[in-house]
Amino acid sequence: MDKELIQQIRDKARNLLKEGTVEGVIGYERASDDLTSRPLFAYSPSDTERLIFDETCAHNLVKYLLDKKGKKIAVVVKPCDSRAINLLLNEGQIERDNVFIIGVGCPGMVETNWNHKSETLQAKCRTCQLFKPVVYDFLAGGEIERQAEEETYSDITEEEAKSVATRREFWLEQFGRCIRCYACRQVCPGCYCPVCFAERLDPLWVGIRIAPEENDMWQTIRSFHLAGRCIGCNECERVCPVDIPLSLLNRKLEKDVKELFAFQAGLDPEEPPPFATFKKEEVMEFEK
Amino acid sequence: MNLFASKDDLIRWLGSLLKEHIVIAPVRVQEQTTFQPISRVEEVVFDFNNTALSPKGWFLPPTETLFSVQRDDGKVELVPTKVERDAVIFGLHPCDARGIALMDSPFLQEPSDALYRERRSRTALIGLACRQAQPECFCTSMGSAPDDPSNVDILLTEVEDDYIVQAVTEKGKALLPKGLAEYKGKVPAPPKLETVPTKEVISAMRELFNDPYWEQLADRCLHCNICAYVCPTCYCFDMRDYADKGKVERVRSWESCQSPGFSLTAGGYDPRTTKGERLRQRFYHKLFYFPEQFQDVACVGCGRCVRDCPVNIDIREVISNLKQVMEAKSGS
Amino acid sequence: MGPESPFTPYLATLKTATQLTPDIKLLSVELEDPDIKASFDYKPGQFALLSAFGEGEAPFGIVSLPLQRDGLEFAVRRIGTVTRALQELEPGDTLGVRGPFGNYFPLEDYVGKNVIVIGGGIGMAPLRPVINRILERRNDYKELLIINGARTPQDLVFQPEFPTWMKAPGTKLELTVDRGDEQWKGRVALVPDVVKELAPSPDNAIAIICGPPIMIRFTLARLRDLSFKDNQIVTTLEAKMKCGLGKCARCNIGEKYVCQDGPVFNLEQLSQFLEQP
Repeated sequence: MDKELIQQIRDKARNLLKEGTVEGVIGYERASDDLTSRPLFAYSPSDTERLIFDETCAHNLVKYLLDKKGKKIAVVVKPCDSRAINLLLNEGQIERDNVFIIGVGCPGMVETNWNHKSETLQAKCRTCQLFKPVVYDFLAGGEIERQAEEETYSDITEEEAKSVATRREFWLEQFGRCIRCYACRQVCPGCYCPVCFAERLDPLWVGIRIAPEENDMWQTIRSFHLAGRCIGCNECERVCPVDIPLSLLNRKLEKDVKELFAFQAGLDPEEPPPFATFKKEEVMEFEK
Repeated sequence: MNLFASKDDLIRWLGSLLKEHIVIAPVRVQEQTTFQPISRVEEVVFDFNNTALSPKGWFLPPTETLFSVQRDDGKVELVPTKVERDAVIFGLHPCDARGIALMDSPFLQEPSDALYRERRSRTALIGLACRQAQPECFCTSMGSAPDDPSNVDILLTEVEDDYIVQAVTEKGKALLPKGLAEYKGKVPAPPKLETVPTKEVISAMRELFNDPYWEQLADRCLHCNICAYVCPTCYCFDMRDYADKGKVERVRSWESCQSPGFSLTAGGYDPRTTKGERLRQRFYHKLFYFPEQFQDVACVGCGRCVRDCPVNIDIREVISNLKQVMEAKSGS
Repeated sequence: MGPESPFTPYLATLKTATQLTPDIKLLSVELEDPDIKASFDYKPGQFALLSAFGEGEAPFGIVSLPLQRDGLEFAVRRIGTVTRALQELEPGDTLGVRGPFGNYFPLEDYVGKNVIVIGGGIGMAPLRPVINRILERRNDYKELLIINGARTPQDLVFQPEFPTWMKAPGTKLELTVDRGDEQWKGRVALVPDVVKELAPSPDNAIAIICGPPIMIRFTLARLRDLSFKDNQIVTTLEAKMKCGLGKCARCNIGEKYVCQDGPVFNLEQLSQFLEQP
C-alpha cells in the first residue's frame, strides 16, 4: 500500500468535506475480510480516515454518482473509471460542477474475491494504456509508470474464427448458468435506464423465465445497448457470481466499434457515442 | 448406530441410487462447484468447500412451469406440472439442509404448494458434515452446526478418505446399501466457528427499524439479486404467464426484494422507494418478519452472501453493527 | 376442477362486461364447476386473483354481494397488461379465479353505528359491497353517508347504482369531482375538503376509506381533525401481490402480509406497523 498516496487522498477528502465543497466523498475502505476493499461513503471529516487505495480497489465508483444527483459529491477514480465520468457527462446524466474528481494513477488491479487476493493482474489492466485518469480535479500520487501490453483482441479474433454453430453452443452453455441476478447491469455505469428493457412487460423483450434462451436475449441486448458506450471497466464480469465471460461480448463490440467508427467511449466528454449520433455526411451507398 | 462406508462403497451406492432416482450432487462447472443432476457417478465432486448456489433450486427452481393452459375446441383445461421421479440430493452441508427446512414453513403452510410438497416428500437428503469451516461460515450462530443431522435423512462424516454413515430418518435407513459395517471409532469433532450476536440483535429489531443505519448501509448496495439468489433460504418469487407459439404456461421464477419494481403496484405506488428501505426489507424479512411468523431466523450462516456480495455487505458485520447501535441507544 | 395446488385457478366464464367509466369495466363471472360455485363463500373486503391466461394474474376486490348468485363481480381498471387483457375478454371467454383471499370488513362490529364510506376513483370498488350490504340490512345500521369522488364526472364509479343509493332511507350520497365539465352541476372539490365541509360527527361512527394513497393521507388528517379515533377509521390497502397465499413474500408492510392479515386494517393497527405504507 502506498502510504503517501493514501494520505493525499485522505487529506483531499477531509478538506473537501471540512470546507463544505462537497457533501460526501465516495472512495474505498478495507472490506470485512481485512484483505480486499469495498466502497466507502464518507460524509464527515473523521470518516476519511478509513479511505485506502491499493491493488484490490477494483470497484467502479462512478455509478454511485447517479444515486446522488443534485448533490455535490467527490469520487475517487482510476483511469478506467474516469472514462465513465466522460460517458455520463456526455449523456447528460451528471453535472460537471457537482462532481469533484479525485483521480488516482493506477498500478493495475489484481484479481480478487472475498478473502482471496491473487498476484495476477486483471486482464483489462494488462492492456490498459491510461496512466492517469482522463478527467480529474485533483490527481493523487501523480502519473504511474508501468508496462502495458497492446490490446490485440487476439482472444476475440480467435472466437470470430469459430463457426456460428460452435459459438452459439458456447454461449448457450454460458448463459445457461446465468441466474439473472442483474449484478452486471446494476454495477455498470452505462446501465441507468429508469425502467430496464428486461423489466418491461409491454413489449415483452425477455420476461421472467430464467432459462438459456431468455438469458441469451438479456445478455445480447444489454451488450448492444452498450455498444460504443462500454468503457471497459469490466465490472460486469468481476461481479458475476457464476463467472460468465462477459468481457468477450463487450470487447467484441468494442473492437467492432473501433474498426467501424474509430471510436472509443469515454475518452472525450464532448464526442457522443456513434449510436447516439446522426451525421448527414454519413451517406449509405446502395447498389442499384 | 453409526455405520462405516469406504469411498468405494459410497461410489457404488451412488451408482445404484442413480438407477432409480434423479441424483443431484456437487459437480464441477468451469471453475465452480454447483449442485446438478448427474448422469454418471464420476461427475460427483467430493472435495469442495461450499457450492456456488445452494441446493434450494431443486425444490424452488429458478424457473418452473406451474401449469399449462390448453385450449381444445374452445374448452380450456389447466394441466398442472407433475413430479416424475424420486430424487436424492447428495453432499449438502447442514447449513443448506437447514435452509430447505426453513423454506418448508412458507411453502408447506396450508394451503401448501403442491409441487413443492411433492418434490419434498419424494426427495431424500444425504448430508455431508463439515470437517473444516470457511472464513465466511457462521452456522452455529444461526441455529445449525457443522455436524448437525437435524434436517437430513442420512449424515455422512468424512474420516480420512472414508465415511461415517448416520441414518437419521426412516427414509434414510431405507436408502442405505446393505452390508455396511458398524463404525465404533470416534466421530471427529466439528470445527469451531466465530460467533455472531444474533439472538440479542433480533430481540431489538423492532427498535432499530427507523435507524439511519439502513440508508447508510444501502449507499453501496447495488440492489442486484446476488445475495437472495445464492442464499439457501431466500424464497421470494414472481409469477407470470408465458405465451409462446400457442402454448400458454404459468411460470414461477426467482425474484428478490431488491429488484426494482418488486413492490411497485400497477397504479404506480411503491411503499419502498429509497435504497435504505429496500435493503432493510431483506434484513428484516430474514431476521424479524420470518421469526415473527415461523419462530425461526431465516439465515443459516452459510456465508455465501458474504462471499459473493460485490460490495461486501456482510450480514455478520450488519448484526454486530446493529448491536453497537442498540447499545448506543440504550446509553450503555 | 378442484385444484390440487393453490396456485391453479378455478375456471370461470365471463358473463357480462359493463363499461363503468372510460377505463373501468365491471366484469361479472361465473365459476364453471358447480360445486366450487356453490362453496365459494366470501365476505365484503376479500379479494380474488383473476387470471387472463396468456398474460398473468392480478388482485381485485370482490365487489358483488356474497349471496348474490348472479355471479362474482369485479371492477377492473385498465392500467397494465393483465387488466388490459381482462378488459378485452368477450362474454363466453374463460378466465381464472383464485380466492377468496384476505380478511374482510367486520360489518358485525358496525351494527348500530353511523357509517361513513369515503371512496376515490377505483377505491369505490371494495366499498360497494359494504354499501350494498348495509342497504340490504338497513335497520341494522344507523345513518349512512357515502362520499364518492373522482377526477372528472365521467370517472365517477358505480353511476348506475347512484339512484338506489340516493333513495335509500337514512342515506346520503355526496358526489364530488376534481374537475367538472359543461354538464356537471355538482360539487367540484377534493374528497378531503368534502369531509371537512360535511364534518361528520365521530359519535358512534365508523369511517371506511379507500382510494389513492394521497387521498387517504389527507382524508385521514381531516377525520382526525374531526376527533375520529384511530380505531374508528378503517381502510383497505393496495399492494403488489402475486400468490395471495403469504408465500411469495412480496406484499408485506413490515411484519404484516396484506394478502393474509389484510387488506382491511383500521388505523390503530396500521399505526403500530413497523413499516408505514
